[in-house]
Amino acid sequence: MYEVTLSNVDYSYSDHRVLQGITFTAEAGDFVCLLGPSGCGKSTLLRLLAGLSFPSSGDITLDGKRITGPGLDRGVVFQDYSLFPWMTAGQNIVLTLEQAFPGKNKEEYRQAAADYLEMVGLAGAYGKLPGLLSGGMRQRAAIARAFAINAPVLLMDEPFGALDAITRARLQDLLLQLWQQREGERKTVFFVTHDVEEAILLANRIIVLGLNPGTVKGIFEVDLPRPRVRQELYKTEAFAALRDRLVTVLHENILSELDGGQTVRSDGEGI
Amino acid sequence: MKKIANISNLLFIALLTALFWPSTGRQIPWHILLVAVVIKAVVQIRQATSKNNEARQGAVDVSAIIFAALLAWYLATTRFVLLDTMLFPQPEAVLALFVTELPTMLKGLVNSLILLVSGYLLALAIALPLGLLVGWRARLFHAINPFTKVLGPIPPIVYIPYAIALLPTFRAASIFVIFIGAFWPIFINTVHGVFNIPKGLLDSARVLNLKERTLLARVILPGAMPSICTGATLALVLAFILLAAAELIGANSGIGWYVKNFADYADYQRVIVGIIFISIVVMTITWGTERLERHLLRWRN
Repeated sequence: MYEVTLSNVDYSYSDHRVLQGITFTAEAGDFVCLLGPSGCGKSTLLRLLAGLSFPSSGDITLDGKRITGPGLDRGVVFQDYSLFPWMTAGQNIVLTLEQAFPGKNKEEYRQAAADYLEMVGLAGAYGKLPGLLSGGMRQRAAIARAFAINAPVLLMDEPFGALDAITRARLQDLLLQLWQQREGERKTVFFVTHDVEEAILLANRIIVLGLNPGTVKGIFEVDLPRPRVRQELYKTEAFAALRDRLVTVLHENILSELDGGQTVRSDGEGI
Repeated sequence: MKKIANISNLLFIALLTALFWPSTGRQIPWHILLVAVVIKAVVQIRQATSKNNEARQGAVDVSAIIFAALLAWYLATTRFVLLDTMLFPQPEAVLALFVTELPTMLKGLVNSLILLVSGYLLALAIALPLGLLVGWRARLFHAINPFTKVLGPIPPIVYIPYAIALLPTFRAASIFVIFIGAFWPIFINTVHGVFNIPKGLLDSARVLNLKERTLLARVILPGAMPSICTGATLALVLAFILLAAAELIGANSGIGWYVKNFADYADYQRVIVGIIFISIVVMTITWGTERLERHLLRWRN
């Protein structure tokens, strides 16, 4: 629900320029995908938004206010390590709730955590340790946790990157469904991915990042109607056209941008 | 159908045969017999209850080794007297003496455990929180690390004479030495445990904006727990060695003192009784700590 603006954001890490001149605005309730090849700094950009790192220069503002560190106004889902493995799925969410809404009694927290787990289809997993859950279930629990704090901004760093195709599709649908639920108070989402189709399926707006240093190579509005149904979406010409444009932008200059000696396979793997 | 002709069964029968072999003027060695039968019964019960094939095989193999050792010991000292009977007492005599000495040893054990537990818990209570803090705060780490590197490797045994001179009682000196010995492994491993927490988990904690106390208690402590357990186990072994060393020097009771005292009188039967008793105590404590460790780290698959 917050507007997020980045103006001229640079980020360097020990003489290596990771991000350069990143400028864009995400409107309140936008679903923004950060799309780019590995190493383009898209995860770094998400860390800046999370307040885990700070730009070397330039400004990032949330709802007009500069980011000074991590905060509970942003829910974060990582690819791994979102949940603490020594706490059960339920305890993980309770800990988050205790931070976001202090001063309630134990039973209220417990009940709320159980409700959020049920919301993502994990009704029976309250007492299960993350190590006993599948990768997909773990990410469901992580999403439940991110929604539990009811933050206006949601940051997701390749949350489905380690999942198999079917589980990934299910979780994409779940995420869209949760995000769309309450129109008018939709969270502003930043979703990092290197998967073009995932980006089109989810996003209102796709920001394509290039390599060395990470710069914005293009911003694409995705005005495909919602709710989007995967099978139908994939058949439309609009989808195909956008996909081709994105692939072209992603791949242009890719060979010159890469350091020498790397192999690029036909499907773009290994970039 | 289980195999009956396994090596444990064969050695068990061989041992029984040796024990019951008719010979003049010799009684049946009841104590050895009892030990053998108890071990055999424990193995049979494990066979029947355990579902884990490897664990079952392990129990059989361990019992086979024990039967072989008892058989060798019995044959070499009792049946055919191949070894000097003063240095190598007969198993039956040792086991019988074990029973009569048990009350004395238990009383000594209480004194020993008071020293051990005091020193060890003191070390745990100080080294653990300190290690968490030093591992977490970079500035503290850089300030303290040089001292850790210099003081950590000093063998704690070298403090014993000074501690005895410095502190008013033998008890205080022993606790001090056990404390020092247990302190460093716990401290060093706690610090390293904090370092080894995956960065992603720390990020996950940071985005929750946890207060430092909550962070240390709910994230850093459990995250460092695998390494803390390693350190605590190491510290316990060291504490035991130091306990025995301290008792060899200045005690007038205790399990280390018991062995040392009777060695001075060349009463090697009691020396062996003492050693067997110590090994049983250590085994029991290790069993307990392993279960505790498994409970604390149950989240690691």
